[in-house]
Amino acid sequence: MASRTGGVIHDIGYRPYEGRRLSEGSIAWSLFRRGYLEAFGIGRSARAKILPMTMAVLMLIPALVIVSVIVLVSLAEGFLNYSTYINIFSVGIVIFVAGQAPVLFTRDLRSGAISLYLARPLPTWAFALIRCASLAAAIFTISALPLLLMFIGAVSNEADFTDQASDFFPAVLSVLILSVILASVTGLISALTTRRGFAVGAILISLWVSSAFVTAVQAIADFNRMDGLSQFVGLLSPFSLADGIQSGLLGGTASFLGSPEGIGMILLYVVSSIVLVLGSLLLLIRSYRRKAK
Amino acid sequence: MTVIQTAGLTKQYGSLIALNGLSTTIGAGITGLVGANGAGKSTLIKLLLGLLTPSSGDAAVLGHDIRTQGTEIRRLVGYMPEHDCLPPDVRAIDFIVHMGRMSGLPPNVARERAADTLRHVGLADERYRLMGSYSTGMKQRAKLAQAITHHPKLVLLDEPTNGMDPASRDDMLTLVSKIGHDFGIPVLVTSHLLGELERVSDNIIVLDGGTLLRSQATSAFTEVTGVLLVEVLGEDQSQHRMGEALAAQGLPCRPRGSLIEVDPRGLPEPAKARDTIRDTAVDLSLGLVRIQAEHGQIQDIFRGEPARG
Ligand SMILES: Nc1ncnc2c1ncn2[C@@H]1O[C@H](COP(=O)(O)OP(=O)(O)O)[C@@H](O)[C@H]1O
Ligand SMILES: [Mg+2]
Repeated sequence: MASRTGGVIHDIGYRPYEGRRLSEGSIAWSLFRRGYLEAFGIGRSARAKILPMTMAVLMLIPALVIVSVIVLVSLAEGFLNYSTYINIFSVGIVIFVAGQAPVLFTRDLRSGAISLYLARPLPTWAFALIRCASLAAAIFTISALPLLLMFIGAVSNEADFTDQASDFFPAVLSVLILSVILASVTGLISALTTRRGFAVGAILISLWVSSAFVTAVQAIADFNRMDGLSQFVGLLSPFSLADGIQSGLLGGTASFLGSPEGIGMILLYVVSSIVLVLGSLLLLIRSYRRKAK
Repeated sequence: MTVIQTAGLTKQYGSLIALNGLSTTIGAGITGLVGANGAGKSTLIKLLLGLLTPSSGDAAVLGHDIRTQGTEIRRLVGYMPEHDCLPPDVRAIDFIVHMGRMSGLPPNVARERAADTLRHVGLADERYRLMGSYSTGMKQRAKLAQAITHHPKLVLLDEPTNGMDPASRDDMLTLVSKIGHDFGIPVLVTSHLLGELERVSDNIIVLDGGTLLRSQATSAFTEVTGVLLVEVLGEDQSQHRMGEALAAQGLPCRPRGSLIEVDPRGLPEPAKARDTIRDTAVDLSLGLVRIQAEHGQIQDIFRGEPARG
């Protein structure tokens, strides 16, 4: 036992560790969990919590108001619509994603921590996928929580359970699809730069421009009764893509005008989503592989 | 015990050969890997971690093939990169726990060992601070902590003293020595400062432009070279007069600061040089302060002066 007072090095005896080491599966779960918490600023500085927590709360407020109205006025039905909620309040999701995708992707590159991760047992591809999973889970949380709140509010207030459930579950599934699409696309964008500002800007622009473009073209197409064009254009934004799948395939209420009709068009929506997600993930893994060198 | 073995290990980037046919064996203890910037030190470390694929040749780390068993190697090895790698908005303790988990430590073990490790590297009092507020020296120590917290079977330290002031540099080298000699973990440590690792390394590998220049025990670099350093005391340019007199008797010599460097290595009887020096000083009525055997330094091999062997 030696101690150098004044200096900083204390010798308290070294303890080797020969015990159990966890499998890659446990390591993956641990990385997922920490990434998920970090997306909300947990385990980071106080300042890092402001944006994600604010957006999570803002997404909940309309649902809280709706539930209060249901309870106070005893309105039971026809008042709330699960499947259009996230599209009405999509601005909250966009801001959350633009702020937090760089936290999970750009930050590792900027700080250089990526080289510590890649020098550990988890393979590069697994690291990329787990980062995406954390982001998708975080997006899903802030989008699905308001729906859950409304569902519980309605059901506990004498609304018909089967009725509510048949609207609620397809909506939740569509939120899940949207979360996965958004996470892989914005994850890829964020992993292409070490500048947080660039990533935030690029995500905001690509999500807003694509949404606005789809909405505008669909409005014109609808006015001119060009259904085909309207449905094709819907493939161009993550929000209209997820909305199309939930309305076309799961029978929910559509928020966009060009909801896909016919098995061919619905299939095209599904395949496009899969291609978009897999393509983004592949590019993401490739970009991380380059970082190892 | 062989920790690292390489055979003809080569890495090419396009036409640039970053590492050229390296064949060497590294055992337990501390091995210093020295060479100027661009010599191929970091390239070698990334090859050993299985992060880069060799262009040709092979290597094994702790008995695992770097081409096919990268995951096994990365389970067993600790790595401290040369560049920044710490997220500024995280507390050191949280980060080291997390990195321990990423190396496969169970949660409670990761927590205990993180606290211990931070104490070992001298960050006990600063462990709850965000790492963005750390000085360069503290950051280097936090980087070192993440490399050893999971009790690796080998640590690879890439320029751990980079950017530090002399005092923290000394502390860092003391820590490296502690890891290799007290904790008993084999260490491969790099530096572009050639003389720096003499003090802590058991063996030294010198790389120059991707090529192995020398690989041997540190003592072989620093043993006596055969050159003698002479200091005399007297009036009126004593050093100059002494030098002239020695040269006149056939001893190659030249001034080095206030000393005279005598190199009898090329003479038929180098052992006689000491007597000649003593006699000459007496003849000139000069005070002979000392005759000192010169010890080699790692830098010498770059001056083309063989350190012998
Ligand atoms: N990814 C890379 N692409 C091209 N050249 C590289 C790459 N990495 C390193 N090099 C080159 O390889 C040589 C060795 O680099 P490095 O191993 O980093 O040297 P050291 O760590 O000894 O300073 C240098 O000339 C460097 O420019
Ligand atoms: Mg280097």
